[in-house]
Amino acid sequence: MLRFLRHTIDRFVIQDTSFKFLYDRDDSGEVVSLDCETTGFDPWIDDVISVAAIRIKDNRIVTHAAFTALVKPEAEMRPEAMKVHRLLHRDVESAKPMAEVLPDLLRFIGSRPILGYWIDFDMSMLDKYVLHHLGVRLPNERIEVSKLYYERKYGDAPQGTQLDLRFEAIRGDLKLPPINQHDAFEDALLAAKMYVILKDMKQRGVRIARTSGIGGVNAGEPPRPVHGF
Amino acid sequence: MPQSFDSRNPPFDRLDAAEIDQLRQALDVGYFAPGQVIIAADQPAQFFHVIIKGLVEERRDGEVDHVLEAKDSFDARALIHGKPGSAFVAAEETLCYLIPKDIVLGLTQNNPAFGAFFYSEISRKLDALAQSREGQGVESVLRARISEARLQPAVFIAADATIKEAAMAMQDSHTNALFVRDGQRVGVVTGMNLAKAVLNKAKAATTPVRDVCHFDVVAVDKDDFIIDALLLMTRHNKRRLAVRDNGELAGMLEDIGILGLFAGNSQLIPGRIDRAKSIADLETTASDIQAQVERLHRQGVKADLIAEITSDLNRRLFAKLFELTAPKSILSKGCLMIMGSEGRGEQTVRTDQDNGLLLAGPVAEEDLTAFRKLFTSALERLGFPPCPGNIMVRNPIWSMPVEDFIRQVKGWVMTPEENTPMYLAILADAIPVGRNPDLLARAKSALFDVLRGEKIHMAHFAKAIDMFAGSGGMLNALMSSVGREDAINLKKAGVFPIVHGIRSYAIEKGIADTGTLTRIEALAAQGALDGDMAKELAGAFRYLMELRLRSQLAAVKHGNPEAEADIKPSTLTTLERDLLRDALRVVKEFRELVRAHYNLRMF
Repeated sequence: MLRFLRHTIDRFVIQDTSFKFLYDRDDSGEVVSLDCETTGFDPWIDDVISVAAIRIKDNRIVTHAAFTALVKPEAEMRPEAMKVHRLLHRDVESAKPMAEVLPDLLRFIGSRPILGYWIDFDMSMLDKYVLHHLGVRLPNERIEVSKLYYERKYGDAPQGTQLDLRFEAIRGDLKLPPINQHDAFEDALLAAKMYVILKDMKQRGVRIARTSGIGGVNAGEPPRPVHGF
Repeated sequence: MPQSFDSRNPPFDRLDAAEIDQLRQALDVGYFAPGQVIIAADQPAQFFHVIIKGLVEERRDGEVDHVLEAKDSFDARALIHGKPGSAFVAAEETLCYLIPKDIVLGLTQNNPAFGAFFYSEISRKLDALAQSREGQGVESVLRARISEARLQPAVFIAADATIKEAAMAMQDSHTNALFVRDGQRVGVVTGMNLAKAVLNKAKAATTPVRDVCHFDVVAVDKDDFIIDALLLMTRHNKRRLAVRDNGELAGMLEDIGILGLFAGNSQLIPGRIDRAKSIADLETTASDIQAQVERLHRQGVKADLIAEITSDLNRRLFAKLFELTAPKSILSKGCLMIMGSEGRGEQTVRTDQDNGLLLAGPVAEEDLTAFRKLFTSALERLGFPPCPGNIMVRNPIWSMPVEDFIRQVKGWVMTPEENTPMYLAILADAIPVGRNPDLLARAKSALFDVLRGEKIHMAHFAKAIDMFAGSGGMLNALMSSVGREDAINLKKAGVFPIVHGIRSYAIEKGIADTGTLTRIEALAAQGALDGDMAKELAGAFRYLMELRLRSQLAAVKHGNPEAEADIKPSTLTTLERDLLRDALRVVKEFRELVRAHYNLRMF
């Protein structure tokens, strides 16, 4: 309800009317898998340095027309983050700043639902820019892949069952081939693969077996999304 | 754009970086729910699919023919040839890369090596594959150990011995070089050294070898590589090297011995068979023939060629053994029959012995009894396991006067019993050994006549093609228990149906050849077999023999002879699995053809 109100207000508040399409009714039947690599974990301080978005139409992941961009960050790239995403200063030097990337990205996404792993983080990263340029937050519906997985795997689990919702754990459980993580495109593609599988399982009412005793693969460790920041 | 698309997975390994990039740009990923039809039969496909995860069933006429797994791709036929054929259905949750049709078509036109994968004919695919394997043979030889080459024995002679004595020693030991012991020194003297000393330098035959030998002996260790020996020979300009085993001189390696590793020693074996004076003499030769199979295979010689070389040598071996074991009465009146796969010339690794004896007339009972026992056990001693069906000289129903035998064969045709169809099939492939080949010719023409006399007899004979029907489904079992893989029996699923169908056609058309490939050629020449079908069958047969040989060698190596015809699809590369699928599809089509031809649905 709060979201609805905020969207209704935002719709009139939006500064650049050429982006009103964000509030159009979405009848594309598509969703967009999104992933950002960032300079760090704090949306207020850190910047996006690469972003990938892949449309999913029905059961087809349209990789051939994906959106990918490197972004020149405003914040300094920190060495520990560089070790993870392996993008160096010179890689992003020639990239466009977010102000130039954002319009294309938003047009690519449109009003489609946005899908991702720990999608709230990616969205809050983007919202920082969107808020700055348009004066609103992204109104798109969010689909959290780990939530879909949770429903299929732990939805009927007894209390106290240890959860393992790590991206890598979900990948392994769904028997998807390993990827080079922390590459925005590959991460978005992996989330998209998880989505089409989990969505179909849900439709068919199929659950994922919980085998290896309490706690699954990663007993003892608290559930903690580890994201390619 | 997905970097995770595996460009090393055949056939994509034949693409260059720019082509891979073009392909990656065009890829999509598709998801298919269990039971969902990915490509319907009789419907051209828009995409070439490469499985990322999941299982896909290839179905034909409602039956599951094959199950494809991760990294397998489908379907070249639906994409390029638009041929009506199989349907592809997701067996579980499946993700595939989708490569658009026009991208694949473009790549096949610009890159012939990639394009070869999309040929519809297995025979053409195999040729393309074979080209990429050339050169492997040389490499494997260079990496062989010196001990694997045929070494001359180390024969020593004292330095005081005369040229004449040295020549005698060479003759006795069948070598042309000797080690010469001179106190602490060891030298080498060769036949050529002796000849030159006597002929060119007019030295007396009584000259001590010390004066004509040389002491700059170059030695290698028996565990060194052949490449090391070749380098030393080149560096020191030597045609012979001394070979040490634990520091002791153990033999000599000649350049011709290395040649033998490349070409096999087949040229030496007939001579050794001819010289054999006892069964014991034949034993090493028999095991050499067998060892050569493995070596030739390692060098990349094709299985049908290996079978041809091996059969040729084995026939000489049989002939010699017959000579050595048969009494005069049987030699003069008898014809040894070599039957089954050995008769077809298709045996590489020995499975069993199928043989018999036809006689022009009665011989003394004690001669026959003794020979029956001796021949069968001698063969066993040479490494031919006894036939489980007892189709051996030892068994009186397989060794008798030809008139009686013909009567017996007619009985097998007229009143079939459990084993008789197999007897007839084995006999149809027989070849003669010994002085009376006409005896077998008579028996076989009687068999052909009686079979061809009545359609129903021919049909009864051909019916055995269905003996293992149902085992043709590749990976059927994988479905029922994912993860627990069942091996495919190549003999039952592939080799036997081709051999037997072709055998039936050959008998019907009166073709006397026994080899399956020669029969196929003859049938195609007569027009009894469609030219395309003949080519496809020959290609499929060659490929199945290749895989069979591989599984046989593995079975021998692991001491697991029951598994000699089994192959686990997971041990094959994607490309090999694809070829196996093609081969089994050809087998299935052929089986249908034979069924229709002999009206086998009636049974």
